[in-house]
Amino acid sequence: MSAFKRKRGGKSNDKKAKKVKFVAGGEETREQAEQEKKNEVTIPPPVSMGRWTNKERVLIFSSRGINFRTRHLMQDLRTMMPHSKADTKMDRKDKLFVVNEVCEIKNCNKCLFFEAKKKQDLYMWISNSPHGPSAKFLVQNIHTLAELKMTGNCLKGSRPLLSFDPKFDKEPHYALLKELFTQTFATPHYHPKSQPFVDHVYTFSIADDRIWFRNYQIIEEDASLVEIGPRFVLNLIKVFRGSFGGSTLFENPKFKSPNMHRREIRLAAAARVREKQMVKELQKMKRTEAKEDVTTDVTADVFLTPAEDKPVHIQTEAPEPKVVKKNKHKAFKRQRMARR
Amino acid sequence: MLIDSRSMESEDEDSLLGESEEEYSELSDSELQEAFAKGLLKPGMNVLVDEPKKSVNNVEGLKQCLAELRKDLPWVERLDLTNPPAEDVLSKAEGKAPNPTNGDVNAENDFQREMFFYRQAQATVLEALPLLNKHGIFTKRPDDYFAEMAKSDQQMQKIRKKLISKQMIMEKSEKAKKLREQRKFGKKVQVEVIQKRQKEKKAMMTAVKKYQKGMTDKLDFLEGDQKAGKDSAQGPKKVANKKGPNAKRKYKDQKFGFGGKKSGKKWNTKESFNDVSGFRAKVAHAKGGGKGGNKGKGGKQNKRPGKSVRKKMKSRS
Repeated sequence: MSAFKRKRGGKSNDKKAKKVKFVAGGEETREQAEQEKKNEVTIPPPVSMGRWTNKERVLIFSSRGINFRTRHLMQDLRTMMPHSKADTKMDRKDKLFVVNEVCEIKNCNKCLFFEAKKKQDLYMWISNSPHGPSAKFLVQNIHTLAELKMTGNCLKGSRPLLSFDPKFDKEPHYALLKELFTQTFATPHYHPKSQPFVDHVYTFSIADDRIWFRNYQIIEEDASLVEIGPRFVLNLIKVFRGSFGGSTLFENPKFKSPNMHRREIRLAAAARVREKQMVKELQKMKRTEAKEDVTTDVTADVFLTPAEDKPVHIQTEAPEPKVVKKNKHKAFKRQRMARR
Repeated sequence: MLIDSRSMESEDEDSLLGESEEEYSELSDSELQEAFAKGLLKPGMNVLVDEPKKSVNNVEGLKQCLAELRKDLPWVERLDLTNPPAEDVLSKAEGKAPNPTNGDVNAENDFQREMFFYRQAQATVLEALPLLNKHGIFTKRPDDYFAEMAKSDQQMQKIRKKLISKQMIMEKSEKAKKLREQRKFGKKVQVEVIQKRQKEKKAMMTAVKKYQKGMTDKLDFLEGDQKAGKDSAQGPKKVANKKGPNAKRKYKDQKFGFGGKKSGKKWNTKESFNDVSGFRAKVAHAKGGGKGGNKGKGGKQNKRPGKSVRKKMKSRS
């Protein structure tokens, strides 16, 4: 018996009573959802009921030399975006425009490419292949889905709401980036792998000249949110006219390459050390300098008062001998004092 | 400190620095003096950097690119919204004036920054929910809709455990603090109670002594706490007694006891000697008649046997 090929587009209305199989917490197919349609009014029709027109596919892959955090981030993005495709790691030897070919092979029209340098810095390329613009970012502050502080959860493949900062409309390069993000991250309507609910929201905000990405789960209708993750910060480097190449449309003046940043820190430290050494040397020199003997005291004649010259008297005769009185018979001192 | 090389205006400097732009060489003394005169120097080492390159900003190109990139999709496909953050309920409640001028959120202040993002998301959600309902897209997931989640059940278990353990730790520390406080308080209370008891005992003893020495003939110290009623009765009498012992004497009595010879009360005084109220003439002048008359008849009524007889009795028994 040949398999009955189900046509998309809302024709198969004859799925009625299907036996219910309860698999606790496991995957349930969309037929289950239809089964419950009879009980609850709020269950949406399965995704296959609608026509999937917006054929957007995103290729997510990386170069070699990424670390565990980047790998998890990539996996998380693939989980969150059902319209994504994965590919093997690209060799660094190949030039960047090879990525375009890979995209074509996979029939993708957007690409998120993660490039790791020095096992420390992570760069992210987002591009619309084959013709469209592309942008390169430096990724910082990566937190993945698996972090225990992110307590929210969402359906795998549910469509996200996208929330942008009003600052995105003010600058032309931000407007271009906003369009690129929207087309890349928004899950197409009626995508076969998507879920019919909208239960989480992506936030793109601009602070400190960087783009901050957050993912929140919508718990209640009154907009109480819990963070799901992942989260990262994008620092724009350049926007190119073509995909992974082409002329530069915009260059971020405030961007400092991580190498430069590290170098500056090192130089500042070195400068401080050098300064200390210089000071020490100066001190040493001062100490070992030949000290001048101070022979003439400049302040010596401050209090000199020249006296009058006495006439020189030369004695020609010897002086007379003194009369020596012996035994004066002085009374005792006590008696003397008493007498007084 | 980073001195911009182009800001040095001296001619000598230009030629010097033109060569050494790429090197991070130190400035010579004259240059330093110049910079100091201009007020450019700050304490610390001065590192030379070159002026930032003019960055490319091809606005036209960007706009053109954007126009090419744009796909005319209905909102349902994109689900994007641009909005400023929602009202800051917390700061309003605290009474801080919301600052609309401060558009730039301080990226360093973690809490403020995260709240900013949170509020932005909230604003989006609040705006988007009615729109979604209009387009027929559901946001509420029913309880029995089981589907694969982004985080596995195991992961959620771990998260839950971590939260619970954090709560437990906090509770434990709270309990320990309370216990410590209680112990301190209990000790204080204990000390107070002991002191009170000692005071009461002392007061009681002094009251007893007072009575013994005859200063007060009332035994109301035995009743203890019922002084309130008696006090009002004693009111007028107290005034009369004020002239008795001096205030100073009273204070000293209270503090040290009553001083003087304690037990001279058993000796005769002039009054007690001259007191003949206890004299019974009949008893005094009876000449032992009662006892003598009985000698013939009831000789052995109260008579004690002699020593030898007693001894015999003793030995016999």
